[in-house]
Amino acid sequence: MIGRRTQSKKLAIGWLLFLGILALVGDFLANDRPLIAIMEGETRFPVLHEYGEALGLVDPYAPVVRNWYRASPDWALWPPIPYTAGKSDLKNGGYISPFGKQNTGDRARHYLGTDDLGKDVLAGLIHGSRVAVLVGFGSTLLSLLLGIPLGSIAGFFGNGGLRAPRYYWWGWIVGGGCGMLYALVSLRPYFNYPGFLVSFFLCVAAIVVGGWALQALLKLIPRLRKPTALPADSMVLQGIELFVNIPGLVLLIALVAVINEPSISVVILVIGVLRWPSVARYLRAELLRIRHLPYIEGAKVSGIPAWRILFRHALPNAIGPLLIVASFGLGAAILLESFLSFLGVGIPADQVTWGSLLKQSRDHPAAWWMAVFPGLMLTLTVLSCNLLADPD
Amino acid sequence: MLRYALRRLTYLPLSLFLLSLVCFGLQQITPGDPVDHLLPETSIRTAETDPEIYERTYRRAAASLGYDLPPFYFSIRNAALPDTLHRIVRPEERAGLRALTLRYGNWPLVQEYYRTLRRSSWNPDLPGDLSASLRRLLFQDDPDRIQRQVDALEEKHGQLDLVAAHANMVKGATRAKLLLPTFQLHGTANRYHRWAGRILSGDFGLSYLSRRPVSGQIKRAFRRTALLNGITLLVVYLIALPLGLYAAGYRGSRFDRWSTVGLFILFGLPSFWIATLLANFFTTPAYGMDWFPSMGFGDAPEGSGLWTVITTKAKYLFLPVLCLAYPSWAYVSRHLRRSALGEMKKAYVTTARLKGLPTSRILWGHVFRNASFPIITLLGGIFPALLAGSVLIEKIFNIPGMGLLLFDSAINRDWPVVIALVLLNGILTAFGLLVADLGYALADPRVQLGEGGVPKSGGE
Repeated sequence: MIGRRTQSKKLAIGWLLFLGILALVGDFLANDRPLIAIMEGETRFPVLHEYGEALGLVDPYAPVVRNWYRASPDWALWPPIPYTAGKSDLKNGGYISPFGKQNTGDRARHYLGTDDLGKDVLAGLIHGSRVAVLVGFGSTLLSLLLGIPLGSIAGFFGNGGLRAPRYYWWGWIVGGGCGMLYALVSLRPYFNYPGFLVSFFLCVAAIVVGGWALQALLKLIPRLRKPTALPADSMVLQGIELFVNIPGLVLLIALVAVINEPSISVVILVIGVLRWPSVARYLRAELLRIRHLPYIEGAKVSGIPAWRILFRHALPNAIGPLLIVASFGLGAAILLESFLSFLGVGIPADQVTWGSLLKQSRDHPAAWWMAVFPGLMLTLTVLSCNLLADPD
Repeated sequence: MLRYALRRLTYLPLSLFLLSLVCFGLQQITPGDPVDHLLPETSIRTAETDPEIYERTYRRAAASLGYDLPPFYFSIRNAALPDTLHRIVRPEERAGLRALTLRYGNWPLVQEYYRTLRRSSWNPDLPGDLSASLRRLLFQDDPDRIQRQVDALEEKHGQLDLVAAHANMVKGATRAKLLLPTFQLHGTANRYHRWAGRILSGDFGLSYLSRRPVSGQIKRAFRRTALLNGITLLVVYLIALPLGLYAAGYRGSRFDRWSTVGLFILFGLPSFWIATLLANFFTTPAYGMDWFPSMGFGDAPEGSGLWTVITTKAKYLFLPVLCLAYPSWAYVSRHLRRSALGEMKKAYVTTARLKGLPTSRILWGHVFRNASFPIITLLGGIFPALLAGSVLIEKIFNIPGMGLLLFDSAINRDWPVVIALVLLNGILTAFGLLVADLGYALADPRVQLGEGGVPKSGGE
């Protein structure tokens, strides 16, 4: 029984790796440009060239080649799927089945069929895996970035572990808050609304200056010099509780529908922010257990600073459970992304995703290939993530 | 116990207050002018011909919505901005004035420019193209562009009052004033207070699309979603409980192995994919298997018997309920199996076995009660999941419930409806979690709630 479990977990990891590779090298697998082409006596690398153009390193080829098939190079090595996701092939339009008669000439078949405009479904699947991986990893990373600090502070220090004089807490919390408000209200207009990065640094600087100044000021009041503990655990728990009560998905639909220009980064941001409580809650519970283990007690007694114990000794021990919650989150985020693009909100309309293919299949139920294959990809991915997250 | 309940109950209004703040904030930053939706069609047409009358109508409509009030109980703002900016009711004009003040820092001169601009844009003696470009200038909120347009006007029409006022404003800039912030209390005469008060009294306003009260629309949709989700919940527990219990009771048997694997796969199958497949295969004639109706909720004709009503409804609801239910039933039975396995190891089960009780008696009579406590909290997690799931299922099967209403109004930016639905969902979610947690504690007196011992709830 145990053997079978590890085997299936290996399969799950394999599938996720495959998906990641598919996302990375998708352009070399499905593209309507050749990988290598000899044209006008010159060896060209059109797919690589595309990357160079996007990075601004190279200029486009001198007579711009719009359609490499019609340009008919002397010799060309084509990708295995010579179609780009989202590009129509009007000769094969009107939902052609994978087994149907296709009018592709000497070009490769549409292995998994086409949609009404002749867009290749397999190329769409590969592009969809790129979007899924991007959204899944991006938002999981974000939720970890938010959840790990909050969860570990709450779980490791609890309500009594973080001790400092009162002026310190009041100074930093109130002063930092005022500093940030000041940066937003006054500094940004004064500097003519700089870009995001400069604004961010302005905010950080104002928080540091405000917090430091107020705590230095409050230090003068003797009553505030008494040391107290920051109730970190209660604060984080209250934050989690507030978030749990918010109907995430409903809010998500409302949010993404408002935003004028749908973009993948907004979806990543929203999913990541909505999912931090589950990371924080899980890590908190784990650290609550770990902090009472003998080796941590021993480290405390031998006088190692608390932060060092947290980072060097306690957190590495919690990585296993973190991976579990992360892989569960990955599956959930990918599912949410498909859900949103199935509804047609949030993800830009020109991006082909698994969800958008499924959505198209609703318009033409007879095109079973547009419903079955994207769903299979999605199911395998979600199952793999769930399998990795399964505790027993 | 009582303390815990009270603590949870104090969270509820706090969460809802935060949610209402989020909704209110969203409403403020959404593009589109809500006042426009209140104006009758005829008065929008007068905007071009008679701006003064339009202005008056607009002002009255805005005042009836409370848009001439400050947004919140207090404001923290730049000291250069006047405390009366909220009285400028047109959002475009307000944004323009705000941007100019935050650029030049001198409110009296900005105001002088604005007055000159308004006066001359309404001046009937000016040539048509000039007053048109002046009116465009009124809606401009980028100081640099305003500068360019004013320069262009000067080139074309020579010295105008407006050009002088603009030059005056640029010359008299006091940018040092921008460095000061101010804080001001507005009292209860503010937009949020009025909006929240109206919502508390059940008035969600008018829908932008249908121009009918939102509450009526939601009430109709809510009944359908409630019926759909109620049936689903019943189905979930009816199937999940015996499945999980017997799987645990006959651990390692073929039934257990297959049901465990099957439930795992079922839980991972995205319900919207399954729903799409079912809808494609069984509700359309594409494959010759259109056994189920594809649209709507199945309203039996008036005066038909109970049996007809039930069969019609069953035909319409079978697929939606199936799709909505199976992820939850997989989830619940997996949990029940796990907690029942924990119970099976205990001494009382061994005793019961030694007494010679049949397995099903042990399962239902002894294990079930103890193993089902954690299942109660799952109810709290299932509730919001069902509401969210309804969006997709209702969209795919065209059931005009709350989910479809939410989707349609979000797509069409029908804000009053969206916000009412988000708030309602928030209340239902919070309430479901609360009831589930309290139910857990009531059913199992051993559970310690309170300090850090919040029972786990939610989707993990």
